[in-house]
Amino acid sequence: MEHTISGLIGAAERGDRAATEELFETLYRELHRLAKRELLRQGGSASVSATTLLHEAYLAMSSRGDPSFPDQAHFMGYAARVMRRLIIDHARERQARKRGGLFEITSLDGQDAPANSVDHRELTEISQALDELESVEPSLAELVDLKFFCGLSFGEIASLRVVSERTVQRNWERARIYLHRKLRADLAV
Amino acid sequence: MSTLTPEQWRTLTPYLNQALDMAETERAGWLSSLRAQDPDLAAHLESLLAEHSHLAQEGFLDTGPTPLDDDPGLAGQVIGPYTLLSPIGQGGMGTVWLAERTDGRFERRVAVKFLNIALVGRGGGDRFKREGSILGRLAHPHIAELLDAGVSESGSPYLVLEYVDGDHIDHYCDERKLDVEARIRLFLNVAAAVAHAHANLIVHRDLKPSNVLVSKDGEVKLLDFGIAKLLEGEGQDGSATALTVQAGRAMTPEYAAPEQVSGGMVTTSTDVYSLGVLLYVLLTGQHPAGKGNHSPAELVKAIVDTEARRLSDMVTAGGGDLETVTINADRRTTTPDKLRRLLRGDLDTIVAKALKKDPLERYSSVTALADDLARYLNHEPIRARPDTFAYRAAKFVRRNRTAVVLATLAVIGTAAGIVDALVQARTARVQRDFAYRQLQNSEAVNDLNSFLLSDAAPSGKPFTVNELLERARQIVEAQHGNDASRVQLLISIGEQYNTQDEDAKSRPILEEAYRVSRGLTDRSARAQASCALGHAISLADDPKRAESLIEEGLRELPGEPQYAFDRVSCLLHGSAVARNTGDVKQGIARVQEAQRALRQAPFNPEMRKLRVFMDLAEAYREAADLPQAIAAFEQASVQLSALGRDNTETAGTLFNNWALALLQMGRPLEAERLLRRAIEVSRADLSEQGVSPMLLNNYASALDDLARFDEAAGYAERAYARAQKAGDEVVINQSLLLRSRIYRDQHDVPRAEAALDEVEPRLRKALPPGHYAFAAVIADRAMLELERGKTAQALRLVNQAIDDLQATIKAGKAGVNVLPLYYQRRGLIELRAGRPDAAAADVAKALDLFQAKTSPGVFSYRTGRAYLLLARILKAQGKEQESRTAARTAAEHLQSSAGPDHPDTHSARELAGLDLPLR
Repeated sequence: MEHTISGLIGAAERGDRAATEELFETLYRELHRLAKRELLRQGGSASVSATTLLHEAYLAMSSRGDPSFPDQAHFMGYAARVMRRLIIDHARERQARKRGGLFEITSLDGQDAPANSVDHRELTEISQALDELESVEPSLAELVDLKFFCGLSFGEIASLRVVSERTVQRNWERARIYLHRKLRADLAV
Repeated sequence: MSTLTPEQWRTLTPYLNQALDMAETERAGWLSSLRAQDPDLAAHLESLLAEHSHLAQEGFLDTGPTPLDDDPGLAGQVIGPYTLLSPIGQGGMGTVWLAERTDGRFERRVAVKFLNIALVGRGGGDRFKREGSILGRLAHPHIAELLDAGVSESGSPYLVLEYVDGDHIDHYCDERKLDVEARIRLFLNVAAAVAHAHANLIVHRDLKPSNVLVSKDGEVKLLDFGIAKLLEGEGQDGSATALTVQAGRAMTPEYAAPEQVSGGMVTTSTDVYSLGVLLYVLLTGQHPAGKGNHSPAELVKAIVDTEARRLSDMVTAGGGDLETVTINADRRTTTPDKLRRLLRGDLDTIVAKALKKDPLERYSSVTALADDLARYLNHEPIRARPDTFAYRAAKFVRRNRTAVVLATLAVIGTAAGIVDALVQARTARVQRDFAYRQLQNSEAVNDLNSFLLSDAAPSGKPFTVNELLERARQIVEAQHGNDASRVQLLISIGEQYNTQDEDAKSRPILEEAYRVSRGLTDRSARAQASCALGHAISLADDPKRAESLIEEGLRELPGEPQYAFDRVSCLLHGSAVARNTGDVKQGIARVQEAQRALRQAPFNPEMRKLRVFMDLAEAYREAADLPQAIAAFEQASVQLSALGRDNTETAGTLFNNWALALLQMGRPLEAERLLRRAIEVSRADLSEQGVSPMLLNNYASALDDLARFDEAAGYAERAYARAQKAGDEVVINQSLLLRSRIYRDQHDVPRAEAALDEVEPRLRKALPPGHYAFAAVIADRAMLELERGKTAQALRLVNQAIDDLQATIKAGKAGVNVLPLYYQRRGLIELRAGRPDAAAADVAKALDLFQAKTSPGVFSYRTGRAYLLLARILKAQGKEQESRTAARTAAEHLQSSAGPDHPDTHSARELAGLDLPLR
């Protein structure tokens, strides 16, 4: 098996499950490593944006001189999915630390979490809904990874995919409807 | 609420896409027509859309999960002599923290800005410190002071800046409802700061509202000065003497100058441009690229290609929806109309000069810009000159090249009464191309634009639309897939070329689209490719193939609603093909069918309706069916208003063409009003600067019909002078013909004759033998002889004119419309010659022909004048009773079409026994 990223992406695209998993693990390790390095460099605790990590990961990997390295859009699609898991893991870890392990105490005034921020359980649910969306319309799922989990703007995604920003926005709106339906339906069960 | 099956999702997706692209108001009607066809589908969609607006309101998933950070942050950390307090901002460059001095020597609070290390590059730290000290000397009361720069222990470069507790300048002005003058005064502070930096050889390159803060006590502070410089690549020598540098850094596209976008040299002029954009936003509340969401691609195209609209055009209903312009005016404590008047003239000129695409045409320095603004405030004349007429005229002609030619010839037609067939075919195309441009909401074109720019932008060279298209063609060529989207893309490119009048390039691309589409099963793609190609080749040598391509395309499309838009587009192409190949009836029939197809469509977008009406009006006009043409113009104009485009160049062109049809039909009163509106739309200020001479001449023609001869002569003479300056041969000739007619109406025979003598050799040079215009000159000379009392000469000339014209018509050339006019003239001459019977026969012929052209119940100036002549003839024949009846009919026609005060109306009423004699 070819262990370069481009080789793995190629194999994953041909439907090789083992390669898909290895690709996932490799990217996860790489992004995790970059995140740690970045946190260290910024004095241990500044925030690191997912966008920066993705771009850096791409630059790092493409500079390793693999001749048939896939284009950025391709890479970002895979990496964004991995980033999703990294973020969920991170949120889970942070929450566990904050709540003192298994004891989850939610404060009454709700001030310990900014409004609109999403806790790791919700993230996990979104992630599951996304997996389902992926089977129906993969490009929508990828879009949510890039936008929601990695924080890319509509403009960035548009130029990555070579479509108009309006198209990206419309697809985003559709994806949101789909996910919301799915989440509501799951809650109703 | 149920979850959706994949099948349901796939079925709903195209409808959902359509619906999400619509305005909320449009959706209701669309849904209800969908409900009639498929209630289940409609119900499903409705619930999804309700969910969508709920989600949009609540901002579902708008905020991403907290990034990979840990809560305590940097607070409390010590950076040099500063202790960080709290984060105050985050941007592309990094994080900004509020901090205070650790040693307590000063109370002063500062902002510490950490820069994203990726932007500085390896080894940047040392250079960073060095540059920081240079920038530190940039002391100015309106520049936030750079206190320190360094690299933290963990390796992050940072800047320590004066902390400004203030608001972005645009918010500040809006919140306090500052008026125009106060805004300009504030802006002058910004300009002073930028000028100071330029004097120190530093270009800002990222001027925008968020970099200009105003504190509570109204103090302006410019931020981020020289940071661009700090981030210069390693290859750049660090010395501060390099005033001009290659662009290369990501800038804020909304405020970027063309040379920044296209990779040209960045100089102090670049800051002049960005200041121009800032001033534009402060004064109008709108961005020069106009309202709405721009994709980066559209924005870049606008920056490089599109001339910004005048300030004063942006603040009344033409510049945005009523609510926006009212709010914007209110924020400047005024009304939209007053604001428009305030901005008109000097401020229009000043901002336009700052926003020139070519850096050399802008103000030479920020100081020069500030000087002019100060002059404006002091009510002194400003230095900048508005664009000269020649410049604007050249641009107008470039923009509307074929429209101008058509309209000018059409006016010769009104003066002489005829319209040239070939030119009209070209005009129909212009109208249609206009519609295409307006219709760029289409996915394919948007995608094409971003596609182009994603490839073109990094190349770092300036580019033109044509270069972009060429590049796009190459890219599409290189793609291997032969699918429907490739066909769509090729069609877009081909049609874009067509819009640029590059037929030679457009054709092979559309041929390629057609070839590829033959291997596909997608009906839309097949039909579109064949109709677009048919249209493109119809003006070339192969009309038969063009027609068969259209028929082939139409056969591809089943009658179902989902193909409605494809049918509309194919039918409009088909109409153009029919008209280009001379089949005017088929041309009309196809637009009408398109109209029906549009009604069957699941929804009915306004832009498409406009496009169909405009095509219909042109088709009718080409078929010389004036009543129908006028009705269609009217509908197109309603549509235009509904779209808020009343004050655009498009509206000006529409009014002009509509007015021409009205003049031909004999409705000068209405034509005059429309032409006045057209002039109003295109005029730059209170002067006639910017109004095309063609339009002035058309207006003169309407005034002449209304017997406002002195005004008419003034306009026609100005049109002539301007056309001569601009070297516009067609308008020169047309205004000479018109001037001769006006002078004759003023009974100034020598001047009228001189104008004819001047125009005749010019026409011989410009037009092929046998053109109707030559008959027109002879018929005009006949009328001059009549003025002189030489009826025999006059009769000889008018007979010659009629013979020539009949030969022209027989040869299949245009001219049939003026024939009745010449019969009428001959009738008048016969009457003066004392032969009322012959006169009566001619006028009867003229009336028959006129009435065949107007619908019953429509009063016409031409018919009225013919009846008036008939009344005089009948009176000469001693038929008093019949004469009075004819005069009453004449009075009715003239009163409605030319007004109760028109001298002809008075004469008719007098002859009818309704009025006492005037004198």
